[in-house]
Amino acid sequence: MLVAPSILIVLALTIFPLGFAIWASFVQYDFSLGLEHPWVGLDNYKENWNDPVWVHSLWVTAILATTMVAVELALGFVLALAMMRPFRGRRALTVLFVIPLFMSPVIVGGFFDLFLRRPFGPMNWLLGELLRHPVTIDFTNDSPWTYISLIIADAWQWTPFMFIILLAGLSAIPDDLYEAADLDGAKPRQSFFFVTMPLLAPIVLIAVTFRFIDAVKLFDIIYSLTRGGPGTETYTASYYLYQQGFELFHLGQGTAGALMLMVMLTFVSFWLVRRLLKPVEA
Amino acid sequence: MAIDTASAGTRGRGDTRVVRGSPFRLGTVARAVIIAAYAGFLLLPLYWAAVTSIKPQEDLLADPPVWWPSNPTNIHYTTALENFNGWKGLENSLIVASVTTVIALIIGTAAAYSMARFRTGGKHLAFWFLSQRMLLPIAVIIPVFLLYSRYSEAWFGIQLVDTKTGLVLLYTVFALPFTVWMMYVYFRQMPVELEEAALVDGCSRIQAIWKIACPLAAPGLVSAAAFAFIFSWTEFLFAQVLARDSAITLPVALAGIITGFQGNQYGEASALTMVSLVPALFLGILVQRHLVRGLTLGAVQG
Repeated sequence: MLVAPSILIVLALTIFPLGFAIWASFVQYDFSLGLEHPWVGLDNYKENWNDPVWVHSLWVTAILATTMVAVELALGFVLALAMMRPFRGRRALTVLFVIPLFMSPVIVGGFFDLFLRRPFGPMNWLLGELLRHPVTIDFTNDSPWTYISLIIADAWQWTPFMFIILLAGLSAIPDDLYEAADLDGAKPRQSFFFVTMPLLAPIVLIAVTFRFIDAVKLFDIIYSLTRGGPGTETYTASYYLYQQGFELFHLGQGTAGALMLMVMLTFVSFWLVRRLLKPVEA
Repeated sequence: MAIDTASAGTRGRGDTRVVRGSPFRLGTVARAVIIAAYAGFLLLPLYWAAVTSIKPQEDLLADPPVWWPSNPTNIHYTTALENFNGWKGLENSLIVASVTTVIALIIGTAAAYSMARFRTGGKHLAFWFLSQRMLLPIAVIIPVFLLYSRYSEAWFGIQLVDTKTGLVLLYTVFALPFTVWMMYVYFRQMPVELEEAALVDGCSRIQAIWKIACPLAAPGLVSAAAFAFIFSWTEFLFAQVLARDSAITLPVALAGIITGFQGNQYGEASALTMVSLVPALFLGILVQRHLVRGLTLGAVQG
């Protein structure tokens, strides 16, 4: 009885819309047609696949999500290793480092826009001072810099996620294991590869899974940083569907695309989540 | 030989590096450089937004960039709040996030308690709640938008598009799986004996929950609440679709300033950014201890 309200509200606003979405994806859903929804079969699905932008956006999503997660994992891991040993001010620094996790991604994209956009953002000037000759990179309009800007902004926000989880994982490895390895004559490098890495692996898997599921949804940063541009080059799948649904009002096509994306995401992440549930259920 | 081993055994992990000499210094320097570099990467854009928000208009586009304005101003804060939906967004965001948090916490905790103590639904229900996290927001919002705009008034007589009610409803759905799962993990780790003792002493089940279980779970409740609040506070896609005018939230108002350049409103954009950071910072510090658990839904103990 206590569970009922939760199940009801989640059902009402997830399963019901999904059922509705499946229907809407097979009809021509257009506000200009009033309440008539002629059945069009698989046309909505076909239309997505005939649109090169949709196919491109799927690639962009996959590549960006993978790169972002990899960059964040690498940075977060290095940072966690650096922050492992106690020192003065460590707690305060940790608090500082995780601040980005509590910010709205659209705002993060916004102030990276401030920071990078030519000619007002100071980034070009900073690079110019560092390299000692003028730099004029159009970070928000020129490929491949647009991708790099997006990755930087995303890494800025989500590296702390990897960092804080890996730090917890590293701290949980008992010291005895290192002592034992030391006694057995292991060099620091060896104990890193044969003690740290295997014990950290399950936690890395958890962190990567959670991060990846979120990275595939990438939308906010695109919206405020590149707006999908130049042209449609940095459209991610979510951004494409947003454009289809809410700018062009091709709602049937948008729904069809969203359903396909959902199926793809489910396939990719299902086995990861399965694997990751084991320690929790135990 | 034997003595050597014994002394090595008493040595802590830290001092082995000291004994080895050079790697210790190199390691410390490398660590300090990494930490400093990261702190720089983190603070630079933040600092830029902060300083932009107090720059007078003529400093905004200056070349070379102005790192500290000679005459700081608060003009951007007043215009952003008064002319760019700032106050409205702030008010709506606060209301929506608070109401969502309260609702999600009440029904989520009830569900989690029941699942943890009476095994309601078994593993499948718990797994189902967790898998809701994989829902793609864009896949939910298109049909929800259609339902809200077409049928909610006709069927239920309430307007859900561009209202706080509509947002709260949707946010609760997205915050609930998280709250349920987090409290579920928390309750399962709590000893059941105290509640049983209370029941034996004549408490009703509701009293046992209210007077025993909830106070014990207070830290979990606080962090679940903070995460629900932060989710609603930072959410953008749903709000952008559903709440463009009278229910506009802070991220939507801000996105409006950023993308709708009329001239340059960099000052206003950064002023609003700063405003939106305040509760996030406060809550971030509050949930610090439960952060890891919260981020991984209890899969990793922090």
